[in-house]
Amino acid sequence: MSEGTSTTAAAGTLLGTSRRRRRVWGRAAGGAVPYVLIAPVVVVIGVVLGYPLYWLGKLSLEHYTLFELIRHAGTWVGLDNYRSVLSDQIFWHTLLRTVIFTAVNVGLTIVLGMLIALLLVRLSTWVRLLLTSGLVLVWSMPVVVAVQIFYWMTNFQNGVVNSILTKLHVGDFSQHDWYGTTFSQLGMVTLLIVWGALPFVVITLYAALAQVPRDLVEAAEVDGATSFGIFRDITLPIIKPILLILTSLSIIWDFGVFTQPYLLIGQSKITPNNFLMSIYLFEEGYFKSDYGRGAAISLLMVLMVGLLSIVYVRKMVRIGVSE
Amino acid sequence: MKRRSITALCLATVVAAAVAATTSGATQKATASNLVVWLQVDAQSSWPDVVAAASQKFQADHPGTKVTVQYQNWGDHLQKFDATLAGGGGPDVIEMGNSEMIKYMAAGAFASLDKSSFDNNATWLGGLAKSGRYGGKTYGVPYYAGSRVVTYRTDLFKKAGITKLPATTAQYVADAAKLFKVDPTKGFSPLYIAGTDWYVAMGFVFDYGGGIATQVSGKWKGLLASRQSIAGLTAYKNFFAAVSRASKTTDEAHPNPYDVYAQGGAASMIGQSWFTCCVGAKYKADTAQFVMPGHLRGQALPGFQGGSDLAVPVTSGDKSLASDWIKDFTSTSSEKALQAKGNIPNATNLLGNSVNERAAARSWFVPSAKHWADVENGNILRNMLQQILTGKLSVKQAAQSASDNITSVLNQP
Repeated sequence: MSEGTSTTAAAGTLLGTSRRRRRVWGRAAGGAVPYVLIAPVVVVIGVVLGYPLYWLGKLSLEHYTLFELIRHAGTWVGLDNYRSVLSDQIFWHTLLRTVIFTAVNVGLTIVLGMLIALLLVRLSTWVRLLLTSGLVLVWSMPVVVAVQIFYWMTNFQNGVVNSILTKLHVGDFSQHDWYGTTFSQLGMVTLLIVWGALPFVVITLYAALAQVPRDLVEAAEVDGATSFGIFRDITLPIIKPILLILTSLSIIWDFGVFTQPYLLIGQSKITPNNFLMSIYLFEEGYFKSDYGRGAAISLLMVLMVGLLSIVYVRKMVRIGVSE
Repeated sequence: MKRRSITALCLATVVAAAVAATTSGATQKATASNLVVWLQVDAQSSWPDVVAAASQKFQADHPGTKVTVQYQNWGDHLQKFDATLAGGGGPDVIEMGNSEMIKYMAAGAFASLDKSSFDNNATWLGGLAKSGRYGGKTYGVPYYAGSRVVTYRTDLFKKAGITKLPATTAQYVADAAKLFKVDPTKGFSPLYIAGTDWYVAMGFVFDYGGGIATQVSGKWKGLLASRQSIAGLTAYKNFFAAVSRASKTTDEAHPNPYDVYAQGGAASMIGQSWFTCCVGAKYKADTAQFVMPGHLRGQALPGFQGGSDLAVPVTSGDKSLASDWIKDFTSTSSEKALQAKGNIPNATNLLGNSVNERAAARSWFVPSAKHWADVENGNILRNMLQQILTGKLSVKQAAQSASDNITSVLNQP
């Protein structure tokens, strides 16, 4: 028995040292493991993001037009491009227009998305299926195709919208010009963007609503809470993280939106009166072949979206900590 | 096992990305044995045989050299060209719109050519020859020109009791009133002109003795606010109101005038002579063309002298071969073949007497300023026309603001 214990004790000490040794090794390796695991991502990001970003930064500090493009060599001008952009009236007007445009688009997308998601919860199964498949169809339509169809529907000469509005006696809309004023142009673009953005927002919010515990809602109902009160005090706090993510993603998308306004308004109607940031960037950089200035504008845009993202990331981290 | 395969996948991605990054930078330089030519789609759709004949002649003279013709679109060919200037793999010969030449010549994108080696170089059309010259050197060889004419429905004109074609714009307005009676449908245009079609509007400006911009002792000066230009713009505004029901804010490509015409929405339209291609089977037999009249009897409305030049980019691998191909493509026989397709040939001694060629007799061209493209791309003229036609600004206010804008854009360093 005693023999047995001594051997087990000996074995124990033996085991102990080897375990300790392994633990030391494990600790060293364990310290490196997260870095090894994250390395591929860092390398990929470095290659696909860092490298172009470096060149963009370099380009923004150079005088680089068609002349330099042909010779493959820019002239270092320091911060001249930034100075010229920031002292450009058109830049500030465009920025203000884009901020308002983004606020309206994001606001409409989130509010309408929330309302439709709340509606989905209350619908019978087959109506919900019908509505969801409609949303998925919208989602699956390529942007360029959607623009063409919008353009065709709102056509001046023989668009279906003008024809229907006239037939419904809303007024005489034959030959109504939907792209006649800046307000109307950006209004049509807003319609198209919100329409295209709704499916993602609705389906995501609908999924979030499924996480709201039924019993909490029922308890509140028993206590006599109104449906708005329930939404404000129970539903909203629970889906808040999702709502935050959707809002900030929408801001990032809508702030830099290019395809819809550029194609729907059409190049021949683009003027400084209806510029959005990305279009301003495109006109300055590509059409005027002032690539250095274009690079400066795009870096300023990255900076602005970056600042917005910081607010959002900090909020997200705080939510994570409090939970 | 799973983790290992994920790591392998990550590694593979990294390697693939790195490889892609290096190969996309590698360039495909055109070698001497392969000549790459960029022509616009017009050649592909209307005169591919002329292109083939020139390449055949070229290959007979240069055995073993392959000619690859790549067709481009007007809308994005310059962006593509810019990309090849930066990254390589560009064409040895490129077709350029005559108003696109100056920006590239000024930037040094083209190789200078020996003018004397091309057929009819002494009689090249003035507007086209000018568009290919910069700093006393020739960079662009005139390819062909186009003018703008009126394409009209003979049946509707007859029905309206118009026996003689309008000889002045005032007469056209009177005829338009008769044509409105023939087809009172809302939106029907006796003469379809898109509101912001500045090619037509500037014709009025030049018809009244005005202009867009001129160079005074090295500095550009906008001319749209001059008395004559304002008279022209006012005439355009009144003429548009009397003859066209097109959108006041749209350009001449949205919709295409010939589509409106083919749908029965117009009795006539102004545009390139090849518009007859697309008037629809229904109206084909009842379609003819005449020269757009100006405000004075016996004088045509000055038309935009459109056209194309052929140039050799500095990135070309063999510039003398490229120049030889241009020589074959712009030879007298080749130009005559182009003329037979309804184009205006590149030299005055080859001119005939078609409607198209008669219309070219009175023409105008954009200012030969380095930054002219910025005026066009910035839609300064279209914006002005929209303001004038919608009544947002008076003719004088809109013209003054556009003129100031043009002055500052053209005088950029």
